[in-house]
Amino acid sequence: MEGMELICFQIISAVGTARSLYIEAIHEAKVGNINGAREMIKEGGQVFIQGHHAHVQLIQNEASGNKTEIGLLLIHAEDQLMSAEAFGILAEEFVDLYERILKK
Amino acid sequence: MKNIVLICAAGMSTSLLVEKMQRCALEDAYECKINAYSMGESSRVIPDADIVLLGPQVRYNAPKLKLQFPDKKIESIDMVLYGTMNGRAVLDHAKKVMG
Repeated sequence: MEGMELICFQIISAVGTARSLYIEAIHEAKVGNINGAREMIKEGGQVFIQGHHAHVQLIQNEASGNKTEIGLLLIHAEDQLMSAEAFGILAEEFVDLYERILKK
Repeated sequence: MKNIVLICAAGMSTSLLVEKMQRCALEDAYECKINAYSMGESSRVIPDADIVLLGPQVRYNAPKLKLQFPDKKIESIDMVLYGTMNGRAVLDHAKKVMG
């Protein structure tokens, strides 16, 4: 498999899994499992880092003078990365809110 | 003929995996249809599917889809297999699940 395609897939796969975990965490909190939700966010964060590392490789490669070949797949991978990052922040807020509601 | 449906966010990244799976199916002389769709198309395409494989980025939809289609085999694609575009392993898994 071509190097660039593989890196894109590593990013999509890792941050996509993280994004799913963040959304699943919100669902868990909704049914009252706050601890489970926090575990999922933590796991999501660990998986997200794998995708982030793959992305950093590309940035470092470009910084050292090797121009990155931009294709739709890379744009899609970065889209997924941004979406996952935002969901991570929001999932934490949602879980905090559900926890507050449950305590009342 | 078995109908294998893959679903991801836009149907784009998964379509590359589909290509690899199709090549493996050809090698095995295994007659099947393999296609990639976006989440938005899921309700239309799942009724005719023998197995539904979800990409990691849409995996969170599994409980909802299982409720909507209780008789369908709905599975999530393993993150590592997806990340390495391992069409062979994903196809073999689908064949095993379909029996």
